[in-house]
Amino acid sequence: MSRRRLFQLGWVIVAAIALLFLPMLVGELSVHLAVEILVYALFAVSFNLLAGYGGMMPFGHAALFAVGAYATALICNNLPGVPLLLALVIAALLSVAAAAIVGFFCIRLKGAYFALLSFAFQMFFFAVASKWRDVTNGPDGMGVARPDLYLPGLGTLSLVSITHFYYFTLVLVATGVLACYLFLKTPLGNTLICTREQDVRASFLGYNVFLARLVVFCASGLLAGGAGGLFVLFQKYVNTGVVDMNMSMTVLLMTVIGGGGHFLGPVLGAAFYVVFQNWISSLTDHWWILLGVVFVVVVLYVEGGLISIVTSDRVRRWMGVGTGKAK
Amino acid sequence: MNLPIEAYLIQAVHGLVYGMLVFLVASGLTIVFGMMGVLNFAHASFYMIGAFIAYSVTVYLGNFWLSLAISPGIVGSLGIVIERFLLRKTYRMGQGAQLLLTFGLLFILNELVRIIWGGSVLSVEAPALLSGEVQLFGSPYPVYRLFILLVSFLLLGVMALLLLKTRIGIIIRAAVTDAKMVEALGTNVPRVFMAVLGGGAAIAALAGVIASPFLTLHLGLGNDALMDCFAVIVIGGFGSLLGAFVAALMIGELQSFGVFWIPGLALVFQFLLMAIVLIIRPAGLFGEKE
Repeated sequence: MSRRRLFQLGWVIVAAIALLFLPMLVGELSVHLAVEILVYALFAVSFNLLAGYGGMMPFGHAALFAVGAYATALICNNLPGVPLLLALVIAALLSVAAAAIVGFFCIRLKGAYFALLSFAFQMFFFAVASKWRDVTNGPDGMGVARPDLYLPGLGTLSLVSITHFYYFTLVLVATGVLACYLFLKTPLGNTLICTREQDVRASFLGYNVFLARLVVFCASGLLAGGAGGLFVLFQKYVNTGVVDMNMSMTVLLMTVIGGGGHFLGPVLGAAFYVVFQNWISSLTDHWWILLGVVFVVVVLYVEGGLISIVTSDRVRRWMGVGTGKAK
Repeated sequence: MNLPIEAYLIQAVHGLVYGMLVFLVASGLTIVFGMMGVLNFAHASFYMIGAFIAYSVTVYLGNFWLSLAISPGIVGSLGIVIERFLLRKTYRMGQGAQLLLTFGLLFILNELVRIIWGGSVLSVEAPALLSGEVQLFGSPYPVYRLFILLVSFLLLGVMALLLLKTRIGIIIRAAVTDAKMVEALGTNVPRVFMAVLGGGAAIAALAGVIASPFLTLHLGLGNDALMDCFAVIVIGGFGSLLGAFVAALMIGELQSFGVFWIPGLALVFQFLLMAIVLIIRPAGLFGEKE
């Protein structure tokens, strides 16, 4: 194992231990923030799977998030017999179905056209969510009680306490993020990156570009839907806020600020966004403008996002790790 | 529904008024996209800022007519500054960076409006000259709406003359087709870009001014207009002014009759129409290149 690999492994272990003991070290309010970061991190990772690795920048990713969110809320409220994990799985699968339909149309297009069509679908979902009052209760939304978690052979765990919910979220988000990481290491993951770089050449080589992109779109929908479900359970409430333009903007901001070129960039972006928002909104009401300025500065001057600063050659050398480049 | 034909005609005029406003905002957006390939998310904010400036001018200077000159002047300069100092940096970075930059500008401009004018709903009073009503198809109709129609058709005429009959119009149309070639022929294309972005911003602001007495001013104005503009440039075809005109009238009538027949679902139809056009004919009804 190379020194660099060992160093990365060390970081992962340190981060895992820190996350495991977090609720014992910080106050309840910070645990709330941590849960929010985790949920957004999963959402942003699903976004980056399309934007960073697939080269498809969706401006309406909230559509898939919302399917998971509303499905979870409706199952928990109307079908109390369904176990929580099953509810989340069903919600994520419904989100995959939505992704298959939306993706089927979107991935034929490129660049701004792709962005706009995904945006149009999101607005369509938004219009449905705000007008179909019998089911969604429109912009007023509906409350959702967090059901208990039943684990076969281990008994039930109440998720009312935020600490319990934190561990529940941590396990699910870590599973999702790890699955996404491993997915990118598969031949399909390599094909995706290949189609991002040269889609015409990839199809000459015999790869089915359309199918590869559709599968990835669905995978992204799975993670986004799961994140939407967790978001609703965290907020104990769902309304059209999960499917409006701001939600699509938020995930885009997180990914770009964090850095879409690196697997953990969106996670860093989610953490930055939540902490920055929490800190700055206690100082001023106009935190959106500051966020906008940070965003513009990152786009213009820090091309790889915040994570590129952390992983830059200078910082690596300073920490005593190789740069990973040939000498 | 058994309604007299006049009722339908009134609805059609409503739709025409709204469609023309949308066209004025979307025209700048579509030309900028055609020339530079920049989908300017911040464009509808120019419209909103134009409307809010009209409010301030009417309140502090006591004269609505002045805002017809002041508002496009300020917003046009803003557009020029944005092109020169921000957007120009991104041309070499590719379309992704451009989308993201204008997206960030959308946040900043919308928040600036909140800081300057506050979050409350404002309204602008129409000048006394235009506040009456006339008989139209047998029922009273606000004069102001007809004024909107008049001004927007005038602007359409000016724009058409500018684009079709002047030298700068030829350069703009050529740059929409092939900006690199125009540059190679010795035109300072970046400067033309700057002028077009400024001009588009000014027209959007002018649309905001003439719309302001007809609307209530609130912070969602920009985003609402943005949705309509996106629908218009997608349906009409990216970069096509004629397409934008036809599509804007379609959107206007769709909204007007949609609200009339099936209130609440008009928005659904608009995005459905947009999605269908993108799926069947991604270049739009009048677009040529994809």
